[in-house]
Amino acid sequence: MCLAIPMQIESIDGFTARCQAKGVWRDVSLFMMQDALPAVGDFVMVHVGYAIQKVAEADARTAWELLDQILGETGA
Amino acid sequence: MDNARAWLEKIHAFEFDRPVKIMNVCGGHERSITHAGMRGALPEWLELIPGPGCPVCVCPEEDVYQAIRLALVDKVILVAFGDMLRVPVNVKKGEVRSLVEAQAAGADVRPIASPLDARRIALENPDRPVVFFAAGFETTTAPTAAMLTEGIPDNLGILLSGRLTWPAVAMLLESSSPGFDALVAPGHVSTVMGPQEWNFVVDRHEIPTAVAGFRPESLLASFYSVLRQLKSGECFLDNCYREVAHPDGNPTARRMMGETLDVVDANWRGIGVIPNSGYALKPAFAQHDARLLFPDHADPDRRRAGEMPPGCDCARVVLGKIYPNQCRIYGKACTPRHPVGPCMVSDEGACRIWWAGGVRMAADG
Repeated sequence: MCLAIPMQIESIDGFTARCQAKGVWRDVSLFMMQDALPAVGDFVMVHVGYAIQKVAEADARTAWELLDQILGETGA
Repeated sequence: MDNARAWLEKIHAFEFDRPVKIMNVCGGHERSITHAGMRGALPEWLELIPGPGCPVCVCPEEDVYQAIRLALVDKVILVAFGDMLRVPVNVKKGEVRSLVEAQAAGADVRPIASPLDARRIALENPDRPVVFFAAGFETTTAPTAAMLTEGIPDNLGILLSGRLTWPAVAMLLESSSPGFDALVAPGHVSTVMGPQEWNFVVDRHEIPTAVAGFRPESLLASFYSVLRQLKSGECFLDNCYREVAHPDGNPTARRMMGETLDVVDANWRGIGVIPNSGYALKPAFAQHDARLLFPDHADPDRRRAGEMPPGCDCARVVLGKIYPNQCRIYGKACTPRHPVGPCMVSDEGACRIWWAGGVRMAADG
């Protein structure tokens, strides 16, 4: 349940960001990021639909690799 | 991976003449450890203990029972994270023992992936009561607090079973046998709440501690850090997940949690009440508190209410007292297909993770 996935912001409307991770798009709430609002192009850690922190692109990409491996193994 | 190999070599360069036990308190950490096969690659003197890292596993049995009754008797639309749907309660044979069985019996139970789904379902069903059964640790409770701050529909109630991670570790450390020599602190709990929450482990108990992320490199770096602390005798709180877990965490999230939720004494399934370890809605949100909006379905005649299922050692697994495959029913009566205890139900339960990692035999088998 604490699994968080890095996603890249493609557009922002109010506190809702359209985010993408490896060809999957989701609407993500930026409501918990008000003290450090991210911008279009930034990467954010997304947990249960909410961005919880910004991340660097390189860290996002290595996290995607790990998730690919784990999800590939469990078939989830 | 070269980085991981370098960390492994550094860990192997240590020499300890006694077993060293490092506890993690995060299902995500345990999944990375098991997936990467780390236990087989580390020195024999090093044990990695999965501790209280699964919020589904410790969610009070009586809360799951209440959620089932809300769906069956009060006819609410009951929404919950998917993990919660198969968690069994202790009822007589033939009675509805999980939310998924309630669904099969005609109740409107819907799995969700985000608190935002709960809000959307409430907006789409303005004439029906909707209850969000919100179990989870800090990382998952914070979004619920954000949703409350932003505003929710009148017909949305929240059955909050949020738990704080650190008080369970504090309870272990204050017991006569904590069962570990060093701690790997959870990455995303620290991302929200701030790594400093774990200072007490170092300051009060002199236990080496490091916050870790979820990549093998980060976890191995945290193991190296705490081993080095053990060797030198100088403990400090290290942070091996600096790229995400910033000092003070996420200030917006913490503020919203402080404004919407109280910290209260709370029951952990099979373990008991841990002081200041749970979240409750503040009185200002009473109109959304499902505990106040609906009848309490607690049944004084129900046997084993609040406990783990009969024969199940989940409580000892959660506390890191035994490994999953040391449970009496692991891989026998209890498998992911027919789970008996919550640790085999949840993706963050140590039993489920070990099973997915290929451990198919009980330790004595």
